[in-house]
Amino acid sequence: MAAARTPGSQTSSGPTPGSTGAGGDGSSPRRAVVVGGNRIPFARSGGPYVRASNQDMLTAALDGLVARFGLAGERVGEVAAGAVLKHSKDFNLARESVLGSALSPETPAYDVQQACATGMETVVGLTNKIRLGQIESGIAGGVDSTSDAPIVVSDALRTILLDLSRAKTPQQKLKAVSRIRPGHLAPSAPTTGEPRTGLSMGEHQALTTAAMGITREAQDELAAASHHRLAAAYDDGFFDDLLTPYRGLTRDANLRADTSVEKLAKLKPVFGKHLETPATMTAGNSTPLSDGASTVLLASDAWAAERGLPVLATVVDVEAGAVDFAHGRDGLLMAGAHAVPRLLARNGLSLQDFDYYEIHEAFAATVLCNLAIWESEEYCRERLGLDGALGSIDRSKLNVHGSSLAAGHPFAATGGRIVATLAKQLTAKGPGSRGLISVCAAGGQAVVAILEAA
Amino acid sequence: MRTPEVEVVELDAVPALGGLYARGVAGSARAAAARRRTVRPDDLPATELLVRGVRAEVEHLSTYQHLLGETGQDALPAGFVHVLAFPVATALMVRPGFPLPLLGMVHVANQVEQRRAVRLDEEMDLRVRAQDLHAHRSGVTVDLVAEAWVEEELVWTGTSTYLAKGHHLAPHSASTDPTPLPSPDNLVSEPQGALGTRGSDTRSEEGAGRAPTGQWRLGGEVGRRYAAVSGDQNPIHTSALAAKAFGFPRAIAHGMYTAARALADVGPARGEAFVWHVQFAKPVVLPSTVAVRVARADGEAEGFSFEAWSPRSGRTHLTGGVSPSS
Repeated sequence: MAAARTPGSQTSSGPTPGSTGAGGDGSSPRRAVVVGGNRIPFARSGGPYVRASNQDMLTAALDGLVARFGLAGERVGEVAAGAVLKHSKDFNLARESVLGSALSPETPAYDVQQACATGMETVVGLTNKIRLGQIESGIAGGVDSTSDAPIVVSDALRTILLDLSRAKTPQQKLKAVSRIRPGHLAPSAPTTGEPRTGLSMGEHQALTTAAMGITREAQDELAAASHHRLAAAYDDGFFDDLLTPYRGLTRDANLRADTSVEKLAKLKPVFGKHLETPATMTAGNSTPLSDGASTVLLASDAWAAERGLPVLATVVDVEAGAVDFAHGRDGLLMAGAHAVPRLLARNGLSLQDFDYYEIHEAFAATVLCNLAIWESEEYCRERLGLDGALGSIDRSKLNVHGSSLAAGHPFAATGGRIVATLAKQLTAKGPGSRGLISVCAAGGQAVVAILEAA
Repeated sequence: MRTPEVEVVELDAVPALGGLYARGVAGSARAAAARRRTVRPDDLPATELLVRGVRAEVEHLSTYQHLLGETGQDALPAGFVHVLAFPVATALMVRPGFPLPLLGMVHVANQVEQRRAVRLDEEMDLRVRAQDLHAHRSGVTVDLVAEAWVEEELVWTGTSTYLAKGHHLAPHSASTDPTPLPSPDNLVSEPQGALGTRGSDTRSEEGAGRAPTGQWRLGGEVGRRYAAVSGDQNPIHTSALAAKAFGFPRAIAHGMYTAARALADVGPARGEAFVWHVQFAKPVVLPSTVAVRVARADGEAEGFSFEAWSPRSGRTHLTGGVSPSS
C-alpha cells in the first residue's frame, strides 16, 4: 500500500502517483492513517498546571510528539488544534504553538473550535485533506485550561472602556469614566451554562438521566470501571508511548486507582437536585474540570513508510450530529446517539460490528443514556427513523482503558486522547479490528468516527 | 587561570539576594573609604562557591517563561539557569577579600555554553568562581563563571563579565583585554551624551544596512517585573528616582532581560546545545520601543545573530548570537 518515494518529495502538496486513489481517476480517495499520539498527563483544575497557558501545554504536547517521531525541523503538512476556553490573545493558538515547537517554522496551522468535539474535528479536517492528497501529514491537537481560564469584564464595563478608548478630549474621557459603577467591576468567568437554556451541562444531563431512568448504581459502576481500567493501563505501560510527563505530573491527576462503587456511593449528588426523581449525578460520576493537551500524528501511508514510522489505524469515516435540545426534544449530550446510526448505514455496518467502543464520559450517565437509546425500540423508531433498535453492545468492549471520568476532560484535548488510545488498541488487536468513537459537545452536538486497524 | 589550590566553600542553599545587597553596599562603602583602586591579578581569591541540589520551582519557571516570551516547556531556558545561579555569583562578590566593589559594577558581556537543557525535575549543583581580571580602558573587568552540573555532568556554563569602573590593574599583569568591549561612553553607568536624543549623528554609521525583524515594546514596569523574577533588585532597574541618582534619565532594563528576550526571539531553532553570547552597549531606558534584528548566520557559519537598538537614536543596545555546539 505504501509507495516508495524519493526523499524531499514530501514538500510536494499534490497527490502522489504511487499512492492509492487520489488521482483524477474518479476512484475513492486514498486512506489517512493514525501514526501515533502524544499528550501530557491531565491535571485537575488549580493543580500543577495552574500557571500553564493553553499555548504552553499545547506546545509541550506537540514537542513530545515531535521528539517521539523524529520530526524536529520537519515541515508537517498542517497542524490543526483548538481550545474551548480561549483568551482573545489565543486567536492563532495552533500557529503560535507551532512556532514555539521544534517543528519547522514553515509548518502552517489553523485553529478549530467545536466545543468538546474540537479535538475530534481537528482529526476530521486533517484526515480529509490527507485523503484528498492536499497534505501528506498533519498533526491534530487540542488543549484546555480551566485553571488559566479567561476572565472578562462585564459587558457594561467593556462598553464604557471602549468608549473611553475612543474619547479624544479630557471632558469626553471624564464622562466615560464617570459612568463606571461598582457593580460593573465584578469579573465574569466562563461557565458551562448553555447560552440558550441557562442550564449547566450537568443540569442538562440530569434531565436526560432522569428521563431515561438511569440509576445511581449504574453510573457509579461505570465510573469505578473507568478508574480501574485507566489505572491498569498505566500499570501495564500502555501509555508509555502516548504520554510525556509535564510539570512534575506523570499520570492523570484525577485517577483514583483505589476508588470503588462503595466509595462513590457516599458522594452527595450535585446535579438534578430539584427534579421530581431522586438526584443521581455526583462529582464522582461526572468529569472534573481539568487542564491538559493532546496531539495525534496523521499521515498518508507513503509519508509514514518513507520515515519508517508505524501505521496504527485508518480513520475510515466520520459524522457530525446535532440535536434540538433547546426545545426539550432531545437531551443536550445525545447527538452522538443520533449520528452513529447514519455513520453505520453509510458504511454498511451494524452497531455490533466493532471490537471497541470509545464513548466520551462527559458524565457516566451520558454513556449510559447513549446505550439506552440504542437499545430502545421506541426511540430508534420514532426519533432516529430506524426500523428497530440498534441493540446493545458488549460492555467489556467499552472504554477498555478508561475514559474521561478517570483521566479528566480538558475539553478540546479529549478527542486526541481517544483517537490515539483507540488507534493503539486496534493495532494490538490486529488487522481488521474496528472501533467506534462518539464525543458529545456543548450546543447539542457530537462527532462520531470509525477507526480500523491499519 | 585557576590556581591549583581552589578553596571550595559549600553553602546550604542559594542565598537570598536581599541580604547580599546589604553586604555589597557596606563592602562597597568600605572599599570606597579605603580608596584602594589598584588591584593585582592575584587578588582574586581562589574560592569556589558550591550549592548542591538546586531545583527550579514550577511557578518561578512559568513566570520567567511568560515574561521573556519563552514557551512553557519543562526544559529550563538558558537565561533561567543564569537567574538561579545569579545569587551565588553575588554571594561570591560580597565575600571579604573580593577585590572589586559590588556597587556600580557594570555587566558588559555574557556568554553561556549550554551542552543540553536542564529539565524541571533535575537537581543541579551550582559552582561559581571568579577569574580573569583584565585591564579595561575605564576600569577592570572580572569574569564570574557559574557552572550547572547534573549528576557529575557539566550541562551549563555561564560567564558574566563585569566592569568595575575607576579601578586599574597593577602593571605587571596581562595586557589590556584583547576582546573588543564597548567603549567607555557606551557603558551603563556613564549615560552622559549617549542616552539623550542627540544620537542622530551616529545613526547613519551604526544603523547602516540594519533592517529590524521585530521590536520590543517595553513598558515602565519591565524592570520591576524582571527584578521580581530574577531577584536582581538593583534600584536602577526598578525606580526612576534611583536611576536618576546614578545618572540615568529613568529606570533601565536589566541587560540579561534584553539578552534573554533576544534568545527567545531566536526560539526553538537554537536547538538545545548552543553557545549564546551577548555584548551589552547602551542601556535600554524604560519605557521604550527597541528595534530588534534576528538573522541566520551568513555563509558556512551556523546559528543566528541578533542585535537590538534604539530606532530613534540608532544607538546599539546589544549585539550577540546563538550558535550550535556539539
